[in-house]
Amino acid sequence: MRISSSMIFDAGLASIQKQTASLMHTQQQVASGRRILTPADDPVAAARALEVEQARDTNAIYQGNQKAAGETLGLVEGQLVAVGELIQNVRTLAVQGGNGSLTDTDRASIAAELRQRFDQLMGLANATDATGQHLFSGYMGDTTPFSGSVAGGVAYAGDEGQRRLQVSASRQVAVSDSGNEIFMRIRNGNGSFATSVTATNTGSGVIDAGTVTDPALWNAAGNNRDFRIVFAVNAGTTTYDIIDNVSGNSLLTGAAPAAAPYPRVFTPGQAIVLKSQGAEPAFDYGAQVVINGSPADGDRFDIDASSSQSLFATLSNLITALEAGASSTSGHTLLANRLGFALTDLDQAHDNLLRVRAAIGSRMNEVEALAAAGEDLNLNYEGTLSRLRDIDYAAAITQLTQEQGYLEAAQKSFLKVTDLSLFNYV
Amino acid sequence: MGTNVFNIGVSGLAAAQAGLLTTGHNISNAGTPGFNRQQIVQTTNTPQFTGAGYLGQGTNVLTVKRIYSQFLAGQTLSAQSRLAELNIYADQIRQVDGLLADPSAGLSSALNDFFRGAHEVAAYPASIPARQSMLSLAQALVGRFQSVDSRLNEIRDGVDSQLASTIVNINAYSTQIAALNQRIILAQAAGPNQPPNDLLDQRDQLLAQLNLEVHVSSVAEGDGSLSVFVGNGQPLVVGIQTFNLTTLLSREDASRMTVGVALAGGGAAALPESMITGGTLGGLLGFRSESLDAAQNALGRIAIGLATTFNEQHRLGQDLTGALGGNFFTAPVPQALYPNSPVNGGTAVIGVAVASAGSLTTSDYRLTANGGGNYTLLRLSDNTTLFSAVALPQTVDGLAISLAAGAANAGDTFLIQPTRTAASDIGVALTDARSIAAAAPIRTAASTANTGSGAVSAGSVNPPPPANANLTQTVTITFDNPPGTFDVVGVGTGNPANVVYTPGGNITYNGWTIQISGTPAAGDVFTISANSAGVSDNRNALLLAGLQTNRTLAGGTATYQSAYAQIVSDVGNRARETEVGITAQESVVKQTEDARQSLSGVNLDEEAANLLRYQQAYQASGKMIDIASKLFDILLDLGR
Repeated sequence: MRISSSMIFDAGLASIQKQTASLMHTQQQVASGRRILTPADDPVAAARALEVEQARDTNAIYQGNQKAAGETLGLVEGQLVAVGELIQNVRTLAVQGGNGSLTDTDRASIAAELRQRFDQLMGLANATDATGQHLFSGYMGDTTPFSGSVAGGVAYAGDEGQRRLQVSASRQVAVSDSGNEIFMRIRNGNGSFATSVTATNTGSGVIDAGTVTDPALWNAAGNNRDFRIVFAVNAGTTTYDIIDNVSGNSLLTGAAPAAAPYPRVFTPGQAIVLKSQGAEPAFDYGAQVVINGSPADGDRFDIDASSSQSLFATLSNLITALEAGASSTSGHTLLANRLGFALTDLDQAHDNLLRVRAAIGSRMNEVEALAAAGEDLNLNYEGTLSRLRDIDYAAAITQLTQEQGYLEAAQKSFLKVTDLSLFNYV
Repeated sequence: MGTNVFNIGVSGLAAAQAGLLTTGHNISNAGTPGFNRQQIVQTTNTPQFTGAGYLGQGTNVLTVKRIYSQFLAGQTLSAQSRLAELNIYADQIRQVDGLLADPSAGLSSALNDFFRGAHEVAAYPASIPARQSMLSLAQALVGRFQSVDSRLNEIRDGVDSQLASTIVNINAYSTQIAALNQRIILAQAAGPNQPPNDLLDQRDQLLAQLNLEVHVSSVAEGDGSLSVFVGNGQPLVVGIQTFNLTTLLSREDASRMTVGVALAGGGAAALPESMITGGTLGGLLGFRSESLDAAQNALGRIAIGLATTFNEQHRLGQDLTGALGGNFFTAPVPQALYPNSPVNGGTAVIGVAVASAGSLTTSDYRLTANGGGNYTLLRLSDNTTLFSAVALPQTVDGLAISLAAGAANAGDTFLIQPTRTAASDIGVALTDARSIAAAAPIRTAASTANTGSGAVSAGSVNPPPPANANLTQTVTITFDNPPGTFDVVGVGTGNPANVVYTPGGNITYNGWTIQISGTPAAGDVFTISANSAGVSDNRNALLLAGLQTNRTLAGGTATYQSAYAQIVSDVGNRARETEVGITAQESVVKQTEDARQSLSGVNLDEEAANLLRYQQAYQASGKMIDIASKLFDILLDLGR
């Protein structure tokens, strides 16, 4: 093939330029640490990197939310722990108040301490977070959720909203519980029914909270869940009748209540079952109560379906009971009954609190697990990004050295070849 | 006899001199672009017949020819034209490529930051600083949309100005070719059999340069002139006459510069862009229609999609003051363009609106009136007819196209650009941080007196906006005895009684949906009411923040970010394609150029050898004259 002189120059120059260009590209890669300098270097990887970047950034947002959720839940948990201690404290005081050797003055001072606890509870229930938002007011963070007094009762001004945070792509976790749920919506009594006494009872009968032996029977549609137990004492024998307050009929006779003596004979400490015995008309509500002591003639005890009773109301009832005074026998019996109810209700409040705390605890666990997963995910994304975009230094520097060698070879050979000319000899 | 020897010597001397001249010409033009090496064509003089046979009469130079192959030159021309097209394409798309992927200039980081702000509001809905930060990040996002778009517009302006300068070059080359045509015609006439080699080289070189600007075809005429055509037959040069190209505004889109032919009587006629291929001009036009329009449309689609979907969710929420959410972004509006000079015959005004942001494409559309109130719509990206000869309004590809006013004549056309300007039109509509609708307008509650285990969900507002007028009316749901059914009471519900209860099933009235689960007891009451003072409610903020990862664009296949990644990938692919094309084309050019150089290029070693050859021939011829002179002296000596 015939070679023209300019071909020698053009070809030499072109190969030097080509080597320089690839040397520069590799140099830029090494200097920036990036394999992809512009998307054109690897369009698929560049687009993928953008999506992975978003996933990484979103994950970082979720990690921030997990932290915020953890902090808020921790704050709520701290408040609830304090409420739990307060309930235990109140329970101790209530038991103490039942001590028969106490005088009215002693009980008044216990009541005074309970009033302190009441105010303390108000403070806990109206707690705010770092930004001044009330923890237990649902969505209404600016609204003080609880207000009221021992005498006038406490009302809830918040709503039932649960604040949530997005802690992972598919999971929103609740970071608050409404005050209604924690302090207000507490079943009184044993959870199915509550027992109560008539304040004018003169005997020494003390009723317990009662138990439901068969929930299915208690919850059956035919059960009106509203009864009273009336006592009569005739010739030294205490008898009682159980009357359905809705139908007005005696359960034991199936007819309107008859005059004393009543169908059943009372033995202190023996269970009074809401189930037909012997020749009584068939009925079975799967529940029983126990009355200790000796009810007097005309004494009355009530059994009602459980309703919601706030922790504040429980506390108020306790304070009222202690302040009422118990110098007389009947007053003492009433106090014993009321302290019993208060202890039952306190236990209900505590159970409710534990339920909420269990939910919070499991959410905190979840958030922590997600945080650990998020950290792994982050490493994963960083690894993917690095694989997509970053350079393999060993390979790149080897290539750089190689290309440097090529360029030097191209330059040297160019000089040698262009040095050859017949004119050197003419 | 002596005279003959003398004459032969002189003819050899003259031929060697011509050879030396030509060799010198070759050496001195070894570096001249477009130069083809020349050779003398030497032949014997007519011999003299004598009794002893034919005696040679020396030599003469018939002509000087250039070593040139029409075929190889033509190959080089088209290869270089294609390379020039790829080079300018690569120069342009490299700018877009770098812009989109730049972390500080691209959209990606601003998009992520904005949604980080939305999550921040979801975490602290009552915090004014968090809300203000989300607004600022929204401003930054909008600013980024606009800056990327304006950078694309700058690149578009750059294309326009390069089109203009390219056309100036083309016209200059045409004029020079015409001038050379004239000189070559004259030279041909003066010496019909002697080619004006250097003039031809110059003209070929001009043709090569013209080919770098735009691919042309040429036809050699009998008189030696060259006619040059662009595209499929539009003449640039015919003989000594030139036809100038010019820039003019597109009839359909007045903001678009296009290429036309200057008419003799003034004015210009547009050339179809498809006619113009190769060279800088072809590369610029190709880049604009293939890559730039597509990138800008795709960016605009993200802007429209983001604004529309975000607004729709935002309007279902409630702000810090208790009012229903308004538009968060100023949503860009698709534009319909009307042709200029000549304008449409009819008076029709076409209304275009976004019917569904998720179905929008990145294409432009041409609406043509068929007369009688019927229209045909063509999608320009793939030349698909979407509807043909039907009356408006029509909804297609997420666009609602209607006749807003007037009537169209048959043949009237309208160019619809749904997303072209969207990235520059998007704005933040909110100014007050309190107006961010982070809350939901309703709240639900279960009565404290409920004895069953029924629980009510937080509830959600049904899309699309506007929200139901009775949305925030208080509605109570009371379970009947037995609790297998419930009664609904509230304004707007129609107060239905005995609705069958399905645990966890949707209960929808007044534009909201709730679920009640568990086992409610008879008489249990659930309330749905207005969410007053719900400053810590973040339900809508969570939904807004969740839009980041929802596949809302491109028919539900792409998130905002993946739609952006798609642009980056498309542009990157085109840039890469072009780079690869350049490498391939460079080797084609090298091969054709080598083939041409191999034939026509000057080799200095060869010329050095020729120098020696002609020098020796000259010396030998000189010696002959010397001998002839000596022969003559011998004759003179004889007479003495």
